[in-house]
Amino acid sequence: MKPLIEFARVGFAYGDRNILTDLDASVFENQCIAVVGPNGAGKTTLLRLAAGTLAPACGEVYLKRRNLQSLKQREIARSVAFVPQNVEVPFSFTVEQFVEQGRTPFLRMFGGLSPADYEAMRRAMELTDTWSLRSRVFNQLSGGERQRVKIALGLAQQPQLLLLDEPMQHLDIGRQFEMIDLIDLLRREGIAIVASMHDLALIEGTFSSVWLMSPDKPIRQGSPQEILRPEILEIAFNCLPHHRPRLLERMRDRMEHAL
Amino acid sequence: MAGEVTEKRASAPHQWTQKHRQRWLLAILSASLVLAVLVAAGMGAVHVPVWLLARKLIGGGSLSADQGIILFTIRLPRIFASLLVGAALSVSGLLFQGLFRNPLADPYVIGSSGGAVLGASIGVFLLPPVSIAGFGTTALLAFVGALGSITLVYWLARVDGRTPVVALLLAGFAVSTMLSYSSYFLEVLDHDFGTGMRVLASWLHGTIAQPTWPQLAIVTLMLAIGFAGSVPLARNLNTLALGEEYAMHLGLSVQKTRIAVIVIGSILTAAAVALGGLISFVGLIVPHMLRMVLGPDHVRLLPATALLGALFLVVADTVARTAIAPAELPVGVLTALIGGPFFLYLLRKTKQGVMS
Repeated sequence: MKPLIEFARVGFAYGDRNILTDLDASVFENQCIAVVGPNGAGKTTLLRLAAGTLAPACGEVYLKRRNLQSLKQREIARSVAFVPQNVEVPFSFTVEQFVEQGRTPFLRMFGGLSPADYEAMRRAMELTDTWSLRSRVFNQLSGGERQRVKIALGLAQQPQLLLLDEPMQHLDIGRQFEMIDLIDLLRREGIAIVASMHDLALIEGTFSSVWLMSPDKPIRQGSPQEILRPEILEIAFNCLPHHRPRLLERMRDRMEHAL
Repeated sequence: MAGEVTEKRASAPHQWTQKHRQRWLLAILSASLVLAVLVAAGMGAVHVPVWLLARKLIGGGSLSADQGIILFTIRLPRIFASLLVGAALSVSGLLFQGLFRNPLADPYVIGSSGGAVLGASIGVFLLPPVSIAGFGTTALLAFVGALGSITLVYWLARVDGRTPVVALLLAGFAVSTMLSYSSYFLEVLDHDFGTGMRVLASWLHGTIAQPTWPQLAIVTLMLAIGFAGSVPLARNLNTLALGEEYAMHLGLSVQKTRIAVIVIGSILTAAAVALGGLISFVGLIVPHMLRMVLGPDHVRLLPATALLGALFLVVADTVARTAIAPAELPVGVLTALIGGPFFLYLLRKTKQGVMS
């Protein structure tokens, strides 16, 4: 099986603060990866490197065996969709006009949207259950609706890989489970997913693997069962031992509550 | 399967009404513009009835020799000049509002006005009145000044091959203020008992020039190029509205789009300034009004903005030249008097401010 995205000895730093060193990792088709780690560990940086909008300081990132740096962003955007954390739209675009922007990498300079473009938009909105929101103003949506519309924009790009930056942020627990269902659905549609996640309790059962990032340590990859273990997380997140039981208790509580 | 079919049908009326609304608006604006031009041509010291004009235009009827001269060498060129200036300023305003993702931006936002003022002052106070292709020194230097100051601003704001929007805005403000105030020193050179001052003042307040047909042809050509260039940019501005990073992820070359908007917006503004001096508020409120009717899609806004801008300024300039005849108001005074209160009304009416 050939990888969609391959990091080969990738390093990245902001100024003299090292974020990534010697990262070797691959994303394969049908994989659903949760990127976890403390604040500032470089989760978003990793996603941007995979999307080609950040260039690695050293090493290479490959998209289907082609060097990302040699590809035009327009080309990359036809296979990889990045869904950012926060979006500020200064004008009152409707959901439909917002999702339409996902067709940007396919449009010619002159000429409008083709029936195929509308079809892709409709499919994206149906998958994310936002079709009924299409005439609403994006800025007036609730946090959960907004998150789904952002993912619809990404799906309108008809990507093979979807990069989600903190998809659970600002969502209440009900909306979080909706989002998990959506990720499950997209996975079954054959779209590979890499999502940065803060809520560790939501990972197991949906994500096939976990990448644990922590400052100044190499990235750790494995199945959720291998990585999401107290003794590993304790070191990575630097939580003091006496905090741990309470944290785990709370996690267990929430799980039971939700079920 | 059956569900999908009904859903498809359900979507149709929505798209239909939006497209229809735009088409109706364009039709109404075009018709009003033609009517406004005809009525405006009839108004003035020598009255020419609208129906006479309309018949003349479709080939019948006849005008007296005097009426012909007044219409074709004085009134119509002036009317077309105001039409062009209105369209140019409004489209330029729309482009800059899109670029800065801020509905408060206007055509002068990155410093064209300062350069234009300095250029015009040099023309008024320092140089003899020569003319190239019908354009006087003041108009030519205002044009050059506007383009020059924008180039300077762009160069100043550029850091490591990028031009952050905030840097553009700040540099624009600083350069514009510096240049327009430095024109004060030129006023000292005015030995002409204040004539130059009066010429400059009327220019500063926005007065549509009395152009010749070749002049109009040149400006029309510039605007045609500007409008043609705006068409593909309109879609890019929609993408850019999501923010720079998002737009980059979607494969838009943000820097190229930015340069293209600045070049086209500046040419439009400079052309407008050359014909009409500094006319305020048009470039700000016209796109804003239409956004309230048509929504924020720049592709849909572009043609309507050009038409409404043209209509607005044709009407305003006609009032400006007839209201206190035989004297004339600078049209900029009028647009500020209408535009200012209207803008404040909009500010108060839209609850979340101008952002929505």
